[in-house]
Amino acid sequence: MSTNYIVENLKKEIDNFSAQITSEKIGHVLEVFDGIAKISGLGDIKSSEMVTFPGGETGVALNLEEDTVGVIIFDDFSKIKEGDEVHATGKILEVPVGDSIIGRVVNALGVEIDGKGVIKRDKTYPIEKVAPGVITRLSVDKPVATGIKVIDAIIPIGRGQRELIIGDRQTGKTAIAIDAILNQKGQNMICVYVSIGQKDSKLRKIQTRLEKGGAMAYTVIVSAGSSEPAPLSYIAPYTGVSIAEYFMDQGKDVLIIYDDLSKHAVAYREISLLLRRPPGREAFPGDVFYLHSRLLERACRRNQEYGGGSITALPIVETQAGDVTAYIPTNVISITDGQIFLETDLFYKGIRPAVNVGLSVSRVGSKAQIKAMKKVAGTLKLDLAQYRELEAFSQFGSDLDSATREQLERGKRAVEVLKQPQYSPMAVERQVAILYALVKGYMDDVSVDRIKEFEEGLISYTENNAKKFYKEIIETNMWSDAGEAELKKAIEEFKNNFS
Amino acid sequence: MATLSNNDIAQAIYLVSKDKTNAELGDINNKIIKFFARRRLLTKTKDILDRLGKIINHENGIVVVKALSALKLEEETKKELIFFLKERFKAKEIILKETLDKKLLGGIRIEIEDEIIDLTVKNKIKKLQEHLTRKI
Repeated sequence: MSTNYIVENLKKEIDNFSAQITSEKIGHVLEVFDGIAKISGLGDIKSSEMVTFPGGETGVALNLEEDTVGVIIFDDFSKIKEGDEVHATGKILEVPVGDSIIGRVVNALGVEIDGKGVIKRDKTYPIEKVAPGVITRLSVDKPVATGIKVIDAIIPIGRGQRELIIGDRQTGKTAIAIDAILNQKGQNMICVYVSIGQKDSKLRKIQTRLEKGGAMAYTVIVSAGSSEPAPLSYIAPYTGVSIAEYFMDQGKDVLIIYDDLSKHAVAYREISLLLRRPPGREAFPGDVFYLHSRLLERACRRNQEYGGGSITALPIVETQAGDVTAYIPTNVISITDGQIFLETDLFYKGIRPAVNVGLSVSRVGSKAQIKAMKKVAGTLKLDLAQYRELEAFSQFGSDLDSATREQLERGKRAVEVLKQPQYSPMAVERQVAILYALVKGYMDDVSVDRIKEFEEGLISYTENNAKKFYKEIIETNMWSDAGEAELKKAIEEFKNNFS
Repeated sequence: MATLSNNDIAQAIYLVSKDKTNAELGDINNKIIKFFARRRLLTKTKDILDRLGKIINHENGIVVVKALSALKLEEETKKELIFFLKERFKAKEIILKETLDKKLLGGIRIEIEDEIIDLTVKNKIKKLQEHLTRKI
């Protein structure tokens, strides 16, 4: 590139430049502390309006008081001084969005942080938006296949549903979410993973895992790490859902994971206390319910008239010592359409995913299951609940009648079948085949410690010898009599050879 | 009980002192000072008086304008400026407070409370810099 070319271009740019004469409202910094600034002036500012500081730092006005404005700062606030001029932008906080954001890691302001170059954006979306109204919505009846047997069979999730993943630390909450993302390959789904207040090492691990599984081809990661200021953690989920809405507006289905909302509430508590808002229960501010309800309400399934598309939300909440009656867990439980409850005891018993089937629920229920799955999983939840009850009785060692013994044996096998290692989601047709074998009693005489081996063998055998059954489920979501007969025959043949 | 802001107090002082004779004002002033002492507001006196000044100006249609420029303004320019500002703010009187600031390089910057009209060379250069360094 010649010098002349640069000079010519510069001249052209300068010729085209015209400075607009405008009057603007400004404010002055009164005090700055812990990511918060108190500003005087800014008479006409709106709530949630963006402001800029002299060093280019951005902030958002949250508290509009009689004489001052409380602003949360998103960048390094150490360079902001008392008396600095603050300009209102007239814009509500927005994030840039575009198709090329897929496969990238961005921060809470939508700026790329993965070192893979600048993301080309077409539009900006406001981070706060009113959720779609009733008229635009459709009831949830299309499944999101998570690839996790216990979830797809017992606690099914539908497109547009909000299903909470709740449990103590180290019970596999993130693992379920990551498995769900990994299983969306080829399912025509865009995934958004919002990491709030997580360690950067954990995020890196997740990113590597998703890349390895080829999932970054349809995934966006929004990260507000634990080293970043609380205001970024506060806006990260809203940024995530705005990105999700961009894709939903194109008629696509989106799966969004908020990992996790307890840390989000803690970040909001920190901001609120610094802004001197009155604390309530557990020192959270009074509007902490609205904080999450307005976020999760944006998950929906739109009808065709409004472009179709859906946002399925999987918020994660961490409990302390299994206490689901704490403030944030109860709030989020009441907002969502069901919860997957993970238990430490089950986790250490080796039942992984450590889902407590009794306490977990999906309020959408079997409407979000394909017909074949509905048929095989219909009684599974009840069977498992009965098994847990009987298991407690059988501890006494008294003689049991044969029906009870049978139920216990079936229950043991069901628990074994529903165990699944991490990062190995299973296609729905395979799940149907294996659950069919379980509920029809084909596994009753297989010893419990060989169930896993039986399962693996059965799947590979039936896939080769009951092709019609698998094909029917993929194409029509249900088997025909012929398909069922073929599967039965294949299972019997496999059983005869299984020793 | 709702807390009284400095603005509320200034507003109250304005209302009780409005249209009063000098003799009455003396008595009112005494009462105000006693009230300040009783409510421990003496440290806030400066802020309250500033606000009172603003309220009086607002009620009388007086606008205080701060004009910053690199060079001293000519009389003709000042007249024009005052005429323009009277029109714009529908004011009866404009009090122009001039300040010289060489860093502005040229032009003029008008400040009326929290509103600014920046016509300085420094601001234009800053805008040009933003224009040339913007992300495409």
